[in-house]
Amino acid sequence: MFHWLEKNPFAFALGVFITIAFAGLVEIIPNFVQSARPLVGTKPYSTLELAGRQIYIKNSCNACHSQMIRPFKSETDRYGHYSLSGEYAYDRPFLWGSKRTGPDLMRVGNYRTTDWHENHMKDPAGVVPGSIMPPYGWLYDNMTDIDTAYAEQLTVESVFAVPYTFNKDKGTDKAQLIPMRDGSTSIVLIGDNIADARSLALEEAKLIVADMKDENIKEAVANGQIPEIVAIIAYMNSLK
Amino acid sequence: MNKIYLWGIIITAAMLGFTYVSVIGSKGGFNGDIVNMLAVAGAIALVIITVFVVIKYVRQMQVDTADGELADESWDDIGEYKNPIPMGWAIIFLATLVWAMWYFTMGYPVNSYSQIGEYNEDTAAHNAKFEKEYASITGDRLIEMGESVFLAECKVCHGIAADGIDGKAANLNQRIAAKSVKHVIENGSNNMLMGSENPMPDRNGLFNMNTGALITDAEIDAVSAYVANGMNGAGGDVFASTCASCHGETGMGMEYVAPNIASFDTALVTNVLNHGMKGAIGVMPAIDRLNAKQKEAVGAYITSLSK
Repeated sequence: MFHWLEKNPFAFALGVFITIAFAGLVEIIPNFVQSARPLVGTKPYSTLELAGRQIYIKNSCNACHSQMIRPFKSETDRYGHYSLSGEYAYDRPFLWGSKRTGPDLMRVGNYRTTDWHENHMKDPAGVVPGSIMPPYGWLYDNMTDIDTAYAEQLTVESVFAVPYTFNKDKGTDKAQLIPMRDGSTSIVLIGDNIADARSLALEEAKLIVADMKDENIKEAVANGQIPEIVAIIAYMNSLK
Repeated sequence: MNKIYLWGIIITAAMLGFTYVSVIGSKGGFNGDIVNMLAVAGAIALVIITVFVVIKYVRQMQVDTADGELADESWDDIGEYKNPIPMGWAIIFLATLVWAMWYFTMGYPVNSYSQIGEYNEDTAAHNAKFEKEYASITGDRLIEMGESVFLAECKVCHGIAADGIDGKAANLNQRIAAKSVKHVIENGSNNMLMGSENPMPDRNGLFNMNTGALITDAEIDAVSAYVANGMNGAGGDVFASTCASCHGETGMGMEYVAPNIASFDTALVTNVLNHGMKGAIGVMPAIDRLNAKQKEAVGAYITSLSK
Protein backbone atom coordinates (compact mmCIF):
# COMPACT_ATOMS: atom_id res chain seq x y z
CA MET A 1 0.00 0.00 0.00
CA PHE A 2 2.78 2.44 0.90
CA HIS A 3 5.41 1.11 -1.54
CA TRP A 4 5.21 4.35 -3.51
CA LEU A 5 6.09 6.23 -0.32
CA GLU A 6 9.06 3.99 0.40
CA LYS A 7 10.42 4.71 -3.05
CA ASN A 8 10.31 8.50 -2.49
CA PRO A 9 12.74 9.49 0.26
CA PHE A 10 11.54 13.11 0.39
CA ALA A 11 7.86 12.17 0.64
CA PHE A 12 8.78 9.52 3.19
CA ALA A 13 10.70 12.01 5.35
CA LEU A 14 7.80 14.43 5.11
CA GLY A 15 5.38 11.69 6.16
CA VAL A 16 7.55 10.79 9.15
CA PHE A 17 7.76 14.45 10.16
CA ILE A 18 4.00 14.98 9.91
CA THR A 19 3.26 11.83 11.91
CA ILE A 20 5.67 12.70 14.72
CA ALA A 21 4.64 16.37 14.73
CA PHE A 22 0.99 15.37 15.00
CA ALA A 23 1.75 13.06 17.90
CA GLY A 24 3.60 15.91 19.61
CA LEU A 25 0.74 18.34 19.11
CA VAL A 26 -1.77 15.88 20.49
CA GLU A 27 0.40 15.57 23.60
CA ILE A 28 1.22 19.24 24.08
CA ILE A 29 -1.77 21.31 23.00
CA PRO A 30 -4.52 19.99 25.32
CA ASN A 31 -2.20 20.35 28.31
CA PHE A 32 -1.21 23.84 27.23
CA VAL A 33 -4.81 24.95 26.67
CA GLN A 34 -5.84 23.54 30.03
CA SER A 35 -3.14 25.34 32.01
CA ALA A 36 -3.58 28.62 30.11
CA ARG A 37 -7.22 28.94 31.18
CA PRO A 38 -7.85 31.80 33.59
CA LEU A 39 -7.87 30.72 37.21
CA VAL A 40 -10.79 31.54 39.45
CA GLY A 41 -10.38 35.15 40.50
CA THR A 42 -8.39 36.15 37.42
CA LYS A 43 -10.08 39.18 35.89
CA PRO A 44 -9.26 41.29 32.84
CA TYR A 45 -7.72 44.69 33.58
CA SER A 46 -10.02 47.66 34.01
CA THR A 47 -9.32 50.75 31.90
CA LEU A 48 -7.28 52.52 34.57
CA GLU A 49 -5.36 49.36 35.49
CA LEU A 50 -4.54 48.72 31.84
CA ALA A 51 -3.39 52.33 31.43
CA GLY A 52 -1.19 51.76 34.49
CA ARG A 53 0.17 48.61 32.90
CA GLN A 54 1.09 50.59 29.80
CA ILE A 55 2.89 53.11 32.02
CA TYR A 56 4.68 50.22 33.73
CA ILE A 57 5.91 49.01 30.35
CA LYS A 58 6.65 52.52 29.11
CA ASN A 59 8.97 53.13 32.09
CA SER A 60 10.57 49.68 31.63
CA CYS A 61 9.67 48.61 35.14
CA ASN A 62 9.78 45.05 33.84
CA ALA A 63 13.52 45.45 33.14
CA CYS A 64 14.20 45.31 36.89
CA HIS A 65 11.04 43.74 38.34
CA SER A 66 9.85 40.27 37.44
CA GLN A 67 6.29 39.05 37.76
CA MET A 68 6.86 35.35 38.28
CA ILE A 69 7.07 33.74 41.70
CA ARG A 70 8.92 30.48 41.36
CA PRO A 71 8.02 27.43 43.45
CA PHE A 72 10.77 27.70 46.05
CA LYS A 73 10.23 28.08 49.79
CA SER A 74 12.34 31.25 49.92
CA GLU A 75 10.27 32.82 47.13
CA THR A 76 6.86 31.95 48.49
CA ASP A 77 7.86 33.16 51.97
CA ARG A 78 8.72 36.51 50.53
CA TYR A 79 6.19 37.02 47.75
CA GLY A 80 3.25 34.68 48.39
CA HIS A 81 1.93 31.69 46.46
CA TYR A 82 3.98 30.63 43.44
CA SER A 83 2.67 31.77 40.06
CA LEU A 84 0.37 29.59 37.97
CA SER A 85 0.06 29.92 34.21
CA GLY A 86 -3.70 30.57 34.35
CA GLU A 87 -3.03 33.79 36.24
CA TYR A 88 -1.46 35.34 33.12
CA ALA A 89 -4.51 34.65 30.95
CA TYR A 90 -5.21 38.34 30.33
CA ASP A 91 -1.59 39.56 30.22
CA ARG A 92 -0.72 40.75 26.74
CA PRO A 93 2.23 40.66 26.72
CA PHE A 94 3.16 38.79 29.90
CA LEU A 95 5.75 40.57 32.06
CA TRP A 96 7.47 37.57 33.64
CA GLY A 97 10.91 39.12 33.35
CA SER A 98 14.15 37.23 33.68
CA LYS A 99 16.17 39.61 35.85
CA ARG A 100 15.48 40.83 39.34
CA THR A 101 17.25 44.04 40.18
CA GLY A 102 14.24 44.83 42.33
CA PRO A 103 11.80 42.43 43.96
CA ASP A 104 9.13 40.42 42.21
CA LEU A 105 5.84 42.27 41.83
CA MET A 106 3.50 39.41 40.92
CA ARG A 107 1.44 39.84 44.13
CA VAL A 108 2.56 43.27 45.27
CA GLY A 109 -1.09 44.32 45.71
CA ASN A 110 -1.32 41.98 48.68
CA TYR A 111 1.35 43.62 50.79
CA ARG A 112 1.84 47.21 49.64
CA THR A 113 -0.72 49.96 49.71
CA THR A 114 -1.68 53.08 47.78
CA ASP A 115 -0.05 55.49 50.20
CA TRP A 116 3.13 53.39 50.34
CA HIS A 117 3.47 53.48 46.54
CA GLU A 118 2.80 57.21 46.62
CA ASN A 119 5.73 57.76 49.01
CA HIS A 120 7.93 55.19 47.34
CA MET A 121 7.72 56.41 43.73
CA LYS A 122 8.66 59.92 44.86
CA ASP A 123 11.75 58.84 46.76
CA PRO A 124 12.41 55.08 46.94
CA ALA A 125 15.52 55.40 49.10
CA GLY A 126 13.61 57.51 51.61
CA VAL A 127 11.20 54.64 52.25
CA VAL A 128 13.53 51.69 51.73
CA PRO A 129 17.03 52.56 52.98
CA GLY A 130 19.67 51.42 50.53
CA SER A 131 17.24 51.07 47.65
CA ILE A 132 18.86 51.72 44.28
CA MET A 133 15.56 52.37 42.53
CA PRO A 134 15.54 55.84 41.00
CA PRO A 135 12.70 58.23 41.82
CA TYR A 136 9.93 58.41 39.23
CA GLY A 137 8.94 62.03 39.76
CA TRP A 138 7.40 62.52 36.34
CA LEU A 139 4.62 60.07 37.18
CA TYR A 140 3.21 62.87 39.35
CA ASP A 141 3.24 65.39 36.49
CA ASN A 142 2.39 63.38 33.36
CA MET A 143 -1.25 62.61 32.64
CA THR A 144 -2.46 59.11 31.89
CA ASP A 145 -3.28 58.12 28.32
CA ILE A 146 -6.71 56.56 28.86
CA ASP A 147 -7.53 56.52 25.14
CA THR A 148 -4.76 54.05 24.27
CA ALA A 149 -5.75 51.78 27.14
CA TYR A 150 -9.33 51.86 25.91
CA ALA A 151 -8.16 51.03 22.38
CA GLU A 152 -6.27 48.02 23.74
CA GLN A 153 -9.35 46.88 25.63
CA LEU A 154 -11.51 47.11 22.51
CA THR A 155 -8.90 45.17 20.55
CA VAL A 156 -8.52 42.29 23.00
CA GLU A 157 -12.28 42.23 23.52
CA SER A 158 -12.96 41.61 19.84
CA VAL A 159 -9.82 39.70 18.79
CA PHE A 160 -9.21 37.49 21.84
CA ALA A 161 -12.76 37.45 23.26
CA VAL A 162 -11.58 38.84 26.59
CA PRO A 163 -14.76 38.95 28.71
CA TYR A 164 -15.40 42.67 29.04
CA THR A 165 -18.94 43.93 29.47
CA PHE A 166 -19.86 47.19 27.79
CA ASN A 167 -21.15 49.85 30.15
CA LYS A 168 -24.46 50.09 28.28
CA ASP A 169 -25.14 46.39 28.95
CA LYS A 170 -24.69 46.73 32.69
CA GLY A 171 -27.72 45.37 34.51
CA THR A 172 -29.27 43.94 31.36
CA ASP A 173 -29.48 40.29 30.43
CA LYS A 174 -26.62 40.72 27.99
CA ALA A 175 -24.30 41.21 30.93
CA GLN A 176 -25.13 37.72 32.06
CA LEU A 177 -24.00 36.47 28.67
CA ILE A 178 -20.43 37.63 29.26
CA PRO A 179 -19.40 35.94 32.48
CA MET A 180 -15.78 35.53 33.45
CA ARG A 181 -14.13 32.57 31.77
CA ASP A 182 -13.16 31.35 35.22
CA GLY A 183 -16.84 30.68 35.98
CA SER A 184 -17.19 33.45 38.57
CA THR A 185 -19.98 36.00 38.31
CA SER A 186 -17.86 39.15 38.43
CA ILE A 187 -18.04 41.62 35.56
CA VAL A 188 -15.42 44.04 34.28
CA LEU A 189 -16.90 47.09 32.59
CA ILE A 190 -15.46 48.97 29.64
CA GLY A 191 -16.77 52.19 28.16
CA ASP A 192 -19.11 52.31 25.19
CA ASN A 193 -17.01 55.06 23.65
CA ILE A 194 -13.92 57.09 24.53
CA ALA A 195 -15.80 59.63 26.63
CA ASP A 196 -17.46 56.84 28.56
CA ALA A 197 -14.13 55.05 29.07
CA ARG A 198 -12.61 58.28 30.42
CA SER A 199 -15.40 58.74 32.93
CA LEU A 200 -15.15 55.10 34.07
CA ALA A 201 -11.41 55.52 34.57
CA LEU A 202 -11.97 58.75 36.47
CA GLU A 203 -14.40 57.06 38.87
CA GLU A 204 -11.79 54.41 39.52
CA ALA A 205 -9.11 57.07 40.00
CA LYS A 206 -11.24 58.81 42.64
CA LEU A 207 -11.24 55.64 44.73
CA ILE A 208 -7.44 55.48 44.53
CA VAL A 209 -6.79 59.15 45.40
CA ALA A 210 -9.04 58.88 48.44
CA ASP A 211 -6.11 57.01 50.04
CA MET A 212 -3.45 59.42 48.72
CA LYS A 213 -1.97 62.46 50.44
CA ASP A 214 -0.52 64.61 47.63
CA GLU A 215 -2.78 67.65 47.29
CA ASN A 216 -1.75 68.29 43.67
CA ILE A 217 -2.83 64.80 42.68
CA LYS A 218 -6.13 65.12 44.53
CA GLU A 219 -6.76 68.45 42.82
CA ALA A 220 -5.92 67.06 39.36
CA VAL A 221 -8.35 64.17 39.80
CA ALA A 222 -11.02 66.52 41.13
CA ASN A 223 -10.55 68.48 37.91
CA GLY A 224 -11.05 65.39 35.80
CA GLN A 225 -7.42 64.62 35.05
CA ILE A 226 -5.60 61.42 35.97
CA PRO A 227 -1.87 61.71 36.75
CA GLU A 228 0.16 58.65 35.80
CA ILE A 229 0.92 57.82 39.44
CA VAL A 230 -2.77 57.08 40.02
CA ALA A 231 -2.96 54.68 37.09
CA ILE A 232 0.21 52.83 38.03
CA ILE A 233 -0.97 52.50 41.64
CA ALA A 234 -4.26 51.08 40.33
CA TYR A 235 -2.22 48.55 38.36
CA MET A 236 0.03 47.72 41.35
CA ASN A 237 -3.01 47.20 43.57
CA SER A 238 -4.55 44.87 40.99
CA LEU A 239 -1.53 42.54 41.14
CA LYS A 240 -2.68 39.93 43.62
CA MET B 1 42.21 -29.63 9.09
CA ASN B 2 41.08 -26.31 7.72
CA LYS B 3 43.63 -23.53 8.02
CA ILE B 4 41.15 -21.42 9.93
CA TYR B 5 40.97 -23.93 12.80
CA LEU B 6 44.75 -23.96 12.96
CA TRP B 7 44.85 -20.19 13.28
CA GLY B 8 42.14 -20.38 15.92
CA ILE B 9 44.16 -22.75 18.02
CA ILE B 10 47.30 -20.64 17.64
CA ILE B 11 45.50 -17.44 18.70
CA THR B 12 43.83 -19.21 21.62
CA ALA B 13 47.15 -20.57 22.82
CA ALA B 14 48.75 -17.14 22.49
CA MET B 15 45.99 -15.41 24.48
CA LEU B 16 45.99 -18.08 27.19
CA GLY B 17 49.75 -17.76 27.37
CA PHE B 18 49.45 -14.02 27.78
CA THR B 19 46.87 -14.56 30.52
CA TYR B 20 49.26 -16.98 32.27
CA VAL B 21 52.17 -14.59 32.10
CA SER B 22 50.20 -11.54 33.23
CA VAL B 23 48.32 -13.21 36.10
CA ILE B 24 49.67 -16.51 37.28
CA GLY B 25 53.27 -15.82 36.36
CA SER B 26 53.31 -12.40 38.01
CA LYS B 27 54.44 -11.75 41.53
CA GLY B 28 51.85 -13.12 43.94
CA GLY B 29 50.11 -15.26 41.29
CA PHE B 30 46.74 -16.54 42.38
CA ASN B 31 47.62 -15.53 45.87
CA GLY B 32 45.56 -18.53 47.04
CA ASP B 33 42.44 -16.55 46.41
CA ILE B 34 39.40 -18.36 44.99
CA VAL B 35 38.15 -15.14 43.34
CA ASN B 36 41.37 -14.82 41.36
CA MET B 37 41.05 -18.42 40.18
CA LEU B 38 37.45 -17.88 39.14
CA ALA B 39 38.42 -14.73 37.24
CA VAL B 40 41.17 -16.53 35.35
CA ALA B 41 38.88 -19.48 34.59
CA GLY B 42 36.35 -16.97 33.22
CA ALA B 43 39.03 -15.33 31.09
CA ILE B 44 40.06 -18.69 29.66
CA ALA B 45 36.46 -19.61 28.87
CA LEU B 46 35.89 -16.21 27.21
CA VAL B 47 38.93 -16.57 25.02
CA ILE B 48 37.99 -20.07 23.88
CA ILE B 49 34.32 -19.26 23.26
CA THR B 50 35.11 -16.02 21.41
CA VAL B 51 37.62 -17.64 19.11
CA PHE B 52 35.44 -20.59 18.19
CA VAL B 53 32.25 -18.54 17.73
CA VAL B 54 34.15 -16.29 15.35
CA ILE B 55 35.44 -19.35 13.53
CA LYS B 56 31.89 -20.73 13.23
CA TYR B 57 30.56 -17.60 11.54
CA VAL B 58 33.57 -17.18 9.27
CA ARG B 59 33.13 -20.83 8.18
CA GLN B 60 29.44 -20.21 7.61
CA MET B 61 30.24 -17.25 5.32
CA GLN B 62 32.72 -19.41 3.44
CA VAL B 63 30.58 -22.48 2.80
CA ASP B 64 26.87 -21.58 3.24
CA THR B 65 24.66 -21.41 0.17
CA ALA B 66 21.41 -19.48 -0.12
CA ASP B 67 18.21 -21.40 0.39
CA GLY B 68 14.74 -20.69 1.73
CA GLU B 69 11.83 -18.67 0.41
CA LEU B 70 12.33 -15.03 -0.63
CA ALA B 71 9.94 -12.35 0.53
CA ASP B 72 7.90 -10.51 -2.08
CA GLU B 73 9.47 -7.15 -1.34
CA SER B 74 12.67 -6.37 -3.17
CA TRP B 75 14.37 -3.01 -2.72
CA ASP B 76 17.19 -2.14 -5.07
CA ASP B 77 17.29 -5.86 -6.01
CA ILE B 78 18.34 -6.85 -2.50
CA GLY B 79 16.12 -9.72 -1.49
CA GLU B 80 15.14 -10.86 1.97
CA TYR B 81 14.31 -14.37 3.24
CA LYS B 82 11.14 -15.17 5.06
CA ASN B 83 12.82 -16.20 8.31
CA PRO B 84 11.03 -17.04 11.53
CA ILE B 85 11.48 -14.42 14.25
CA PRO B 86 14.52 -15.24 16.40
CA MET B 87 13.39 -16.39 19.84
CA GLY B 88 15.68 -14.03 21.78
CA TRP B 89 14.50 -11.03 19.80
CA ALA B 90 10.85 -12.01 20.28
CA ILE B 91 11.30 -12.31 24.05
CA ILE B 92 12.96 -8.90 24.28
CA PHE B 93 10.21 -7.39 22.11
CA LEU B 94 7.41 -8.76 24.29
CA ALA B 95 9.26 -7.79 27.48
CA THR B 96 9.53 -4.25 26.11
CA LEU B 97 5.78 -4.16 25.55
CA VAL B 98 5.13 -5.24 29.13
CA TRP B 99 7.63 -2.68 30.45
CA ALA B 100 6.00 0.05 28.34
CA MET B 101 2.60 -0.72 29.84
CA TRP B 102 4.04 -0.59 33.36
CA TYR B 103 5.91 2.63 32.61
CA PHE B 104 2.82 4.27 31.08
CA THR B 105 0.46 3.38 33.90
CA MET B 106 2.75 3.19 36.95
CA GLY B 107 6.38 4.04 36.27
CA TYR B 108 5.98 7.55 34.93
CA PRO B 109 2.92 8.79 36.85
CA VAL B 110 4.07 7.48 40.20
CA ASN B 111 7.77 8.19 40.03
CA SER B 112 8.06 11.19 37.75
CA TYR B 113 9.73 14.38 38.92
CA SER B 114 7.55 17.37 39.61
CA GLN B 115 8.76 20.83 40.52
CA ILE B 116 5.68 21.44 42.65
CA GLY B 117 6.22 18.06 44.32
CA GLU B 118 9.76 19.08 45.23
CA TYR B 119 8.45 22.43 46.51
CA ASN B 120 5.89 20.65 48.69
CA GLU B 121 8.53 18.33 50.10
CA ASP B 122 10.87 21.23 50.73
CA THR B 123 8.15 23.21 52.49
CA ALA B 124 7.13 20.25 54.63
CA ALA B 125 10.76 19.63 55.62
CA HIS B 126 11.25 23.30 56.44
CA ASN B 127 8.07 23.46 58.50
CA ALA B 128 9.06 20.32 60.40
CA LYS B 129 12.45 21.85 61.15
CA PHE B 130 10.83 25.11 62.24
CA GLU B 131 8.43 23.18 64.47
CA LYS B 132 11.34 21.28 66.04
CA GLU B 133 13.70 24.19 66.60
CA TYR B 134 11.57 27.26 67.08
CA ALA B 135 8.04 26.24 68.09
CA SER B 136 8.73 26.56 71.79
CA ILE B 137 11.14 29.49 72.02
CA THR B 138 10.30 32.31 74.40
CA GLY B 139 11.83 35.42 75.89
CA ASP B 140 14.86 36.97 74.26
CA ARG B 141 15.04 34.36 71.51
CA LEU B 142 11.45 35.15 70.56
CA ILE B 143 12.25 38.86 70.44
CA GLU B 144 15.31 38.09 68.28
CA MET B 145 13.15 36.13 65.87
CA GLY B 146 10.66 38.97 65.89
CA GLU B 147 13.38 41.44 64.99
CA SER B 148 14.54 39.34 62.06
CA VAL B 149 10.97 38.99 60.78
CA PHE B 150 10.44 42.72 61.31
CA LEU B 151 13.55 43.53 59.27
CA ALA B 152 12.36 41.26 56.47
CA GLU B 153 8.68 42.15 56.31
CA CYS B 154 7.88 45.33 58.26
CA LYS B 155 10.83 47.69 57.85
CA VAL B 156 9.80 48.54 54.29
CA CYS B 157 6.98 50.70 55.71
CA HIS B 158 7.78 51.16 59.41
CA GLY B 159 11.50 51.74 58.90
CA ILE B 160 14.54 49.99 60.34
CA ALA B 161 14.12 51.81 63.66
CA ALA B 162 10.36 51.14 63.60
CA ASP B 163 9.80 54.89 63.76
CA GLY B 164 7.40 54.98 60.82
CA ILE B 165 9.79 57.02 58.59
CA ASP B 166 8.56 60.56 59.29
CA GLY B 167 4.93 59.65 59.66
CA LYS B 168 4.71 57.46 56.55
CA ALA B 169 3.63 54.58 58.80
CA ALA B 170 2.86 54.10 62.47
CA ASN B 171 5.73 54.77 64.90
CA LEU B 172 5.95 51.51 66.77
CA ASN B 173 8.16 52.90 69.52
CA GLN B 174 5.05 54.33 71.11
CA ARG B 175 1.71 52.61 71.44
CA ILE B 176 -0.35 55.17 69.61
CA ALA B 177 -0.06 58.74 68.36
CA ALA B 178 -2.53 61.45 69.39
CA LYS B 179 -3.45 61.88 65.71
CA SER B 180 -4.47 58.21 65.50
CA VAL B 181 -6.49 58.32 68.72
CA LYS B 182 -8.32 61.36 67.40
CA HIS B 183 -8.96 59.68 64.05
CA VAL B 184 -10.43 56.60 65.71
CA ILE B 185 -12.66 58.62 68.04
CA GLU B 186 -13.96 60.75 65.18
CA ASN B 187 -14.45 57.95 62.65
CA GLY B 188 -15.01 54.87 64.75
CA SER B 189 -13.15 51.68 64.09
CA ASN B 190 -14.13 48.39 62.57
CA ASN B 191 -10.89 46.82 61.60
CA MET B 192 -11.62 43.30 62.80
CA LEU B 193 -9.03 43.79 65.50
CA MET B 194 -10.82 41.45 67.83
CA GLY B 195 -11.25 38.88 65.11
CA SER B 196 -14.90 39.62 64.52
CA GLU B 197 -17.10 42.52 63.47
CA ASN B 198 -17.14 44.45 66.67
CA PRO B 199 -17.18 48.09 65.74
CA MET B 200 -16.20 50.95 67.95
CA PRO B 201 -18.72 53.76 67.31
CA ASP B 202 -17.66 57.11 65.92
CA ARG B 203 -17.99 60.31 67.93
CA ASN B 204 -21.76 60.24 67.48
CA GLY B 205 -21.91 57.13 69.63
CA LEU B 206 -19.43 58.06 72.35
CA PHE B 207 -20.99 59.49 75.48
CA ASN B 208 -19.18 61.09 78.35
CA MET B 209 -20.90 59.59 81.38
CA ASN B 210 -19.91 62.49 83.57
CA THR B 211 -21.60 65.12 81.43
CA GLY B 212 -24.21 62.79 79.93
CA ALA B 213 -23.55 64.31 76.50
CA LEU B 214 -21.66 63.30 73.35
CA ILE B 215 -17.92 63.71 73.52
CA THR B 216 -16.81 67.26 72.58
CA ASP B 217 -13.88 68.50 70.49
CA ALA B 218 -12.04 69.68 73.57
CA GLU B 219 -12.56 66.35 75.28
CA ILE B 220 -11.32 64.50 72.18
CA ASP B 221 -8.12 66.54 72.15
CA ALA B 222 -7.62 65.99 75.85
CA VAL B 223 -8.17 62.27 75.81
CA SER B 224 -6.05 61.86 72.65
CA ALA B 225 -3.13 63.54 74.38
CA TYR B 226 -3.76 61.45 77.48
CA VAL B 227 -3.72 58.11 75.60
CA ALA B 228 -0.78 59.09 73.38
CA ASN B 229 1.16 60.10 76.48
CA GLY B 230 0.96 56.57 77.79
CA MET B 231 -2.20 57.12 79.90
CA ASN B 232 -0.67 60.10 81.70
CA GLY B 233 -1.48 63.75 82.19
CA ALA B 234 -4.70 65.66 81.71
CA GLY B 235 -7.69 63.98 80.11
CA GLY B 236 -7.79 61.03 82.48
CA ASP B 237 -11.27 61.98 83.61
CA VAL B 238 -12.58 61.90 80.03
CA PHE B 239 -10.98 58.50 79.50
CA ALA B 240 -12.49 57.12 82.67
CA SER B 241 -15.96 58.35 81.82
CA THR B 242 -15.98 57.61 78.07
CA CYS B 243 -13.43 54.99 77.05
CA ALA B 244 -12.85 52.91 80.16
CA SER B 245 -16.10 50.96 79.88
CA CYS B 246 -14.63 49.05 76.93
CA HIS B 247 -10.89 49.66 77.04
CA GLY B 248 -10.62 49.18 80.79
CA GLU B 249 -9.62 51.71 83.42
CA THR B 250 -5.96 51.32 82.67
CA GLY B 251 -6.50 51.07 78.90
CA MET B 252 -5.38 47.45 78.85
CA GLY B 253 -8.46 46.43 76.86
CA MET B 254 -10.80 43.51 77.34
CA GLU B 255 -10.68 40.24 75.52
CA TYR B 256 -13.24 40.08 72.69
CA VAL B 257 -14.40 43.62 73.50
CA ALA B 258 -11.68 46.18 72.89
CA PRO B 259 -7.95 46.18 72.16
CA ASN B 260 -5.22 47.25 74.51
CA ILE B 261 -4.44 50.94 73.92
CA ALA B 262 -2.04 51.40 76.81
CA SER B 263 0.70 49.18 75.43
CA PHE B 264 1.42 46.71 72.67
CA ASP B 265 0.74 43.06 73.25
CA THR B 266 1.02 39.95 71.14
CA ALA B 267 -2.73 39.49 70.66
CA LEU B 268 -3.04 43.01 69.28
CA VAL B 269 -0.09 42.73 66.90
CA THR B 270 -1.24 39.31 65.69
CA ASN B 271 -4.69 40.70 64.93
CA VAL B 272 -3.27 43.60 62.94
CA LEU B 273 -1.02 41.20 61.00
CA ASN B 274 -4.00 38.95 60.26
CA HIS B 275 -6.46 41.62 59.20
CA GLY B 276 -4.42 44.68 58.33
CA MET B 277 -5.78 48.03 59.41
CA LYS B 278 -6.85 51.42 58.17
CA GLY B 279 -6.11 54.43 60.33
CA ALA B 280 -5.19 58.10 60.31
CA ILE B 281 -1.91 57.47 58.49
CA GLY B 282 -3.13 55.13 55.79
CA VAL B 283 -3.79 51.49 55.09
CA MET B 284 -1.69 48.63 56.39
CA PRO B 285 -2.17 45.42 54.41
CA ALA B 286 -2.67 42.11 56.16
CA ILE B 287 0.67 40.28 56.43
CA ASP B 288 -0.91 36.90 56.98
CA ARG B 289 1.62 34.69 55.25
CA LEU B 290 3.73 34.69 58.41
CA ASN B 291 3.11 31.62 60.52
CA ALA B 292 1.61 31.83 64.01
CA LYS B 293 4.97 31.71 65.79
CA GLN B 294 6.42 34.43 63.59
CA LYS B 295 3.41 36.66 64.34
CA GLU B 296 3.88 36.02 68.04
CA ALA B 297 7.56 36.88 67.64
CA VAL B 298 6.77 40.15 65.88
CA GLY B 299 4.35 40.92 68.70
CA ALA B 300 7.06 40.26 71.27
CA TYR B 301 9.56 42.42 69.37
CA ILE B 302 7.17 45.36 68.98
CA THR B 303 6.13 45.09 72.60
CA SER B 304 9.80 45.18 73.60
CA LEU B 305 10.36 48.40 71.60
CA SER B 306 8.03 50.58 73.64
CA LYS B 307 9.19 49.32 77.04
